[in-house]
Amino acid sequence: MGKTVPCSVCGATATVHLTQIVQGQITKVHLCEGCAEKGGAGDPAVFQLAGVLSQTEVPPTLACSACGMNDADFRKKGRLGCPACWTALLPALEPLLGKIQCGVHHLGRSPSGVTYSPEQAKMRLDAARREMDEAVQSEDYESAARLRDLIRNLEGQIA
Amino acid sequence: MTVRDILSSENELTHMLGAQQAIVLSTRIRLARNLNDHPFPGWAKSAQRAKVTELCLGALNPMPKFRRAHEVRMEALPELERAALVERHLVSKELSGGKGGAALVSRDQTVSVMINEEDHLRVQVVKGGWHLRAAWHIAEQLDDALSSALPLAYSDRLGFLTACPTNVGTGLRASAMLHLPGLCLAGHMDKVARALGQDGLAVRGWLGEGSDAAGNVFQISNQQTLGLSEDTILRHLSGWVRNVVEQEENARLRLIESEGEKFLDRIARAFGTLRHARLLTSGESMANLSLLRLACDVGMLPEARRATVDRLMIEGQPAHVQLRAGVELDTEARDARRATTTRDTLADFPEPSAPKLP
Repeated sequence: MGKTVPCSVCGATATVHLTQIVQGQITKVHLCEGCAEKGGAGDPAVFQLAGVLSQTEVPPTLACSACGMNDADFRKKGRLGCPACWTALLPALEPLLGKIQCGVHHLGRSPSGVTYSPEQAKMRLDAARREMDEAVQSEDYESAARLRDLIRNLEGQIA
Repeated sequence: MTVRDILSSENELTHMLGAQQAIVLSTRIRLARNLNDHPFPGWAKSAQRAKVTELCLGALNPMPKFRRAHEVRMEALPELERAALVERHLVSKELSGGKGGAALVSRDQTVSVMINEEDHLRVQVVKGGWHLRAAWHIAEQLDDALSSALPLAYSDRLGFLTACPTNVGTGLRASAMLHLPGLCLAGHMDKVARALGQDGLAVRGWLGEGSDAAGNVFQISNQQTLGLSEDTILRHLSGWVRNVVEQEENARLRLIESEGEKFLDRIARAFGTLRHARLLTSGESMANLSLLRLACDVGMLPEARRATVDRLMIEGQPAHVQLRAGVELDTEARDARRATTTRDTLADFPEPSAPKLP
């Protein structure tokens, strides 16, 4: 018998071992039968998440007062307990977001009626201008027109 | 009887026609949304999940989009009906097997909302063929209606808050379902999947996460949801889908030109198997139907027959076969039923002829 490796998601003995190479960077993920069956083995997003979770070392000192989840629970489950966890466990989540997402700032839509802080509006304005340049370059005039309206709207909010 | 109503009524995916469905079978937009001050379904107690279901259904039911919608509670459904809804992509495997899950499916089946899946709300818009902007437009309107009716979990900095960090921000998963027999036959699919993976897109099989590419059908979707606007995500997916469609068209042309009689033989054999087999496994059925679908696309069979082939693909799935039979069946009985339905359906199909080059 060789030595056993813990599952990157739940810590049980792993029987499925995956290696992914993205842009020259090798990520290894080990999954137990249960987690592999849950879709982990075939889903690139879960693969990526499991890989990052297994590498992230955060002291188990953070806890969410709203739902009771702590960062150790999160590392075990890979899912948060409630919306307030995003504030309480943020120090544990930020490095993770940096690896699996395109940034740590939301640049998308907001619920109807919610307005942006001046700082947010400025960031969105910069992003929208970049996007409009790209849209024009790729001759996507439909998007460019929509972005132009968005830029005007944001400029109005900042002024 | 609601589930049977859903399965038997005509919708864009089972009764669609037209050249634009040749390669892109369908377009899908999914938004993950949650209610403020309620634990996410995976961490909630059953009373808390029940409360969320009532709140969400209370907000959704009065919306015009959900007039005369089908409301389904997962735990009240027999296993076969749950499985058939998964095979139709109307609900996910996770919702069908989880606790306290419910779904609301619009009358025309274009819009469905899953409640208490991984997130409180998963809004899904599906259009037959390639209609990304149209699907997004519907999703956007629904999202506005939702955020006016319910207090959604949102932060200025991180956007829409979700149970899993892979969905936070826009909560948007945009995807296209593509039929790529040309690239598969030419042995290029691995290369295409790698290129997509390196550019932030995920490639999955017919039934989503963890499924294989039965029938040469693949789902392509964005992986990142934070740090990008919805517009950027849609444009990125759109560019790649156009690119893959073009590569598939080229692969088909090359196949027809280089294989000649061998290509006709391949299609004719698939047709023969489907027309005469007494036992058809779902894998064999999907593989051969995929070739028949390709034959409709390149003029070897009348294009109008493609919708029939699509229906056989959907209705040949295990839970569909059993629901139609009205009883649970073992594998062999299922394979026999599938073969009978296929033989009957294809009985009036003409023989495939030589392909027509554009």
